[in-house]
Amino acid sequence: MESPPTVRLFTLHPTSGVPIYRQLVDQVRRLVASGQLAPGTELPSVREVASEYTVNPTTISKAYSLLEGEGLLQRNRGKPMTIASSRQKSGSLPQRLRQIEPQVEALVLAARQLDLDSAELCHFIGKKMGDAS
Amino acid sequence: MSEPVVIAQNLGKAIGRDTILRDVTVAAARGSVVGIIGKNGAGKTTLMDVLLGFSPATSGSSQLFGHDSFTLPGQIRGRIGFAPQQDELVNMLTGRQHVELTAALLGRWNRALASRLQGAWGLPMDRPVQKLSGGERQKLSTLLALGHDPELLVLDEPVAALDPISRRQFLQELLDIAANPQRTVLFSTHIVSDLERVADQIWIIRGGTIVWAGPLDHLKESVARLHITARQPLPATLPTTLRATLSAAVPRLEVLSMRVAGSRATAVVAHWDEAALAPLREALEADIEVESLGLEDIFIEFHS
Repeated sequence: MESPPTVRLFTLHPTSGVPIYRQLVDQVRRLVASGQLAPGTELPSVREVASEYTVNPTTISKAYSLLEGEGLLQRNRGKPMTIASSRQKSGSLPQRLRQIEPQVEALVLAARQLDLDSAELCHFIGKKMGDAS
Repeated sequence: MSEPVVIAQNLGKAIGRDTILRDVTVAAARGSVVGIIGKNGAGKTTLMDVLLGFSPATSGSSQLFGHDSFTLPGQIRGRIGFAPQQDELVNMLTGRQHVELTAALLGRWNRALASRLQGAWGLPMDRPVQKLSGGERQKLSTLLALGHDPELLVLDEPVAALDPISRRQFLQELLDIAANPQRTVLFSTHIVSDLERVADQIWIIRGGTIVWAGPLDHLKESVARLHITARQPLPATLPTTLRATLSAAVPRLEVLSMRVAGSRATAVVAHWDEAALAPLREALEADIEVESLGLEDIFIEFHS
């Protein structure tokens, strides 16, 4: 029953307003677009994810099927699903920017409410990204 | 979708002059985990009682495995496991004696599953039930409902008396049990965050009526809180205008609640569609931020 201890690959919030399958799809897309999940990387099974996060396997399986439909994941008989090998290591810049658009829209809205202009916001983001690297 | 294991059609239940259930139409497909939520007294327990045939419906019909609930043949009853909210354990008997009795009565028992659960839940089996804590009684009651490998498992508030660690263990077990695609689970709870983990279908019951029945994912995607900021102060008559504009933009849209103050308004809507955002922004000449809601907020909004 016990699965070996693993480092959590995803951050899932069951109580969020965003359905769990949606959270998973968005994260895999981002991790693939940024190259953090390289082609051929094995993903944990539906059962492993469901058990690790104590969530209904149906929602995980729905996410994997959607990603497979998009050509991002590859199903392998009797083996774990992998990041599809046909994909480039990372998406083009416009593709990657599209992935982050929802977060940017929310950020822009908050910035407007706080009366921050784009130069101030860009400076702040630059600083944050510099700090993180 | 596979064949429904549980079907209720226009189900009604009245006791004396009180209507407890009104026009309930729901179905649970094989393999699904249905979470039932409602306020105290909303009719959750009565719904389970009527669905299981413990109490006759006063109108409409309900079926389990294709048979009328109230006249279920014995062999169909044997495919169902039920743990009531108030356990029906016998105080002077031990857990082990309860297990032996239940196994003998039902004629089949999954000893491996039962002993695994006993161990995992740390259930003392040789103590009279009288000496068990509330949580231990609840675990025993659930074990008795599970031990014969039922195809339909109905649990009324199974985690109410459990501490957070036992609750999480129980949810994990429930997920393992529900992983069998032949098994259907119906359970009620007030702990909304548990439903968000375990249920794939949600029934929201309010005043004896089902106000939502469908996939949890769909519920979360379909209910949204709109934060509307207009360029100028909004008139007092806005709620009416806004409702009309919103309904015109998304035909099935239902406004659950709305508040207006100055140039800002907040509306919670059901059957929301992201495609309506751009036309709505234009029609209202306003910035609109869409906030998705967790199940607890959605539940509260259905009661506002």
